[in-house]
Amino acid sequence: MNSFIRLLYRDLKAGIWSTKSMLVMQLVSPLFYIFVAGFAYTAVIPTSNIGNGKINYELYLAPGIIVMQIMFAASIAGAMLWIDKRLEMFSQILMGPFSRWQYILSKVVSIMLQGMLNAFLVFLIASPLLVGLSVSPLGLVYIVASLILGSLFFGSLTLAISVFIKSNESFNAVLNVMFTPLMFLSSVYYPLTSAPIAIRILSLANPLTYAADMLRAGLLGIYVPLLPLEIIALTVVSLGSFVAATIAFRRVKA
Amino acid sequence: MTKVFFGSSERELMEYCVETAELTKNYDKVAVVDHVSFEVRSGEVFGFLGPNGAGKTTTIKMLTTLLKPTTGHASVLGFDIVSESSKIRRLIGVVQQEPSYEMALSVEGNLDLYGFLWNVPKKERRDKIELLLDKFGLKDARKTKPQELSVGQRRRLQVAREFMHDSELMFLDEPTTGLDPQARRITLDFVREKVESGTTVFFTTHIMEEAEYICDRIAIINNGRILALDTIDNIKRKFGGVSVIHLRVADGKGGLNLKLEKLAGIERIAYPSGEDEPLKVYAKDADAVLSRIIDIITSSGLHVEELRIKEPSLDDVFVQMINSKGDTSNE
Repeated sequence: MNSFIRLLYRDLKAGIWSTKSMLVMQLVSPLFYIFVAGFAYTAVIPTSNIGNGKINYELYLAPGIIVMQIMFAASIAGAMLWIDKRLEMFSQILMGPFSRWQYILSKVVSIMLQGMLNAFLVFLIASPLLVGLSVSPLGLVYIVASLILGSLFFGSLTLAISVFIKSNESFNAVLNVMFTPLMFLSSVYYPLTSAPIAIRILSLANPLTYAADMLRAGLLGIYVPLLPLEIIALTVVSLGSFVAATIAFRRVKA
Repeated sequence: MTKVFFGSSERELMEYCVETAELTKNYDKVAVVDHVSFEVRSGEVFGFLGPNGAGKTTTIKMLTTLLKPTTGHASVLGFDIVSESSKIRRLIGVVQQEPSYEMALSVEGNLDLYGFLWNVPKKERRDKIELLLDKFGLKDARKTKPQELSVGQRRRLQVAREFMHDSELMFLDEPTTGLDPQARRITLDFVREKVESGTTVFFTTHIMEEAEYICDRIAIINNGRILALDTIDNIKRKFGGVSVIHLRVADGKGGLNLKLEKLAGIERIAYPSGEDEPLKVYAKDADAVLSRIIDIITSSGLHVEELRIKEPSLDDVFVQMINSKGDTSNE
């Protein structure tokens, strides 16, 4: 069996499965966002204008919350590296029949799978809202692409950050500081069409916006005008961040 | 050249498993491993002995391809450690000095996953798990997670894990740290069994009794440099130098001590600190000094309770070499 597949299996069994309680906790807040915040804000924001159509706010919010799950799941990628280093499994693996490249790829792919699983679970939670919607074949492509590219971007980003930060505590603090602007300077919570220009510009430079807009296009059939550009941008930054993480990973001392 | 079967592949048995030439590793311009040259013969247990910080682990990290040397060359199983590192890693096993395990999995789960990582078939994994749990006394703890094990059990798990796959060459970096004497003996015996079935072992320790028990040849390293390399007997002969004469008499110690101090050929005398301890006379030519001591005892009419020459242990030689510094000699 291929070395990469064996490493991936290890990550899923010994890494992600061991953090299953964390995964369950990560599903609690989306539940509140979708069914409490979503419905409460709908009373204030009855409909949202997005590119080619108008939708209820709770429907607008649900894809954004699903995409956010990918970002949170990715934070585990860095934690997995820290655990591997603390328990000397990182060096043990690199003294075995594996390369650094296979190691990092297994981490990113396992995070991708976990992000997709998380997104799928939130999707199930949000399914009462989505009853009656029909997803076209192109829409399905958008959905899968947004989840894969989003996971690749955030998984690679957190892994690259974990290389440069000296302790697990600092790593978690940096992620908390980083995730807050990423969440609020994006199209996750509100449509950018009516946002102030500064917020709009910053949000348009945020890959979370691209992933959220792609998922919205896939699930709801509603397209922002810049969607083609956003797809290209997300593809480029995702691949770029993976390359950057791989290069950064060469610095990690085993 | 003889051929050996290793796992499913056939490889030529080479004379040397490891060859290093002027191997050096610097950290911030300080040489941690300093122009080290040695060979490890196929099928032997090669002991790499030295105090903490001597350069043992850094050498292992270079040979296992984890670190690149600053200068010098080394080959492991015929492959260059820099340009052919991936070929080496498929053929070696490594037990690191630091504790290492999968926190989320049980003892059995750790063994199984490690075997899976090394692509060991499922049936073979099951058989090996049973054998290793039994050999390393972990049967009762098979469902226990590492954080609930004692330090010794965790160490046994770590060592056992490395036997889940076949290795041509095993690097054991202080594998018995934290083990009780019985577990230590079981571990060393199991390593010996593996050597008899064709594995070569590169073994580091600072416990000299262990080295005497298991190693065919040893190298003593300090401050990154090899001070001696040979069989244990030869090293004792070459570097032991001083033997110790143990002497206990029933009475008249005071007069005897005065006479001994005037005796020629004695390096030093260590007086006993307790009633049951012998007086120790250190001498280079112990036989000559012993006959002079016998003359003194006979002429004084003393009753001898103990009189014997104790050859220097590897521990004595090791301490003497480490303390004398600098005087390097390679085979």
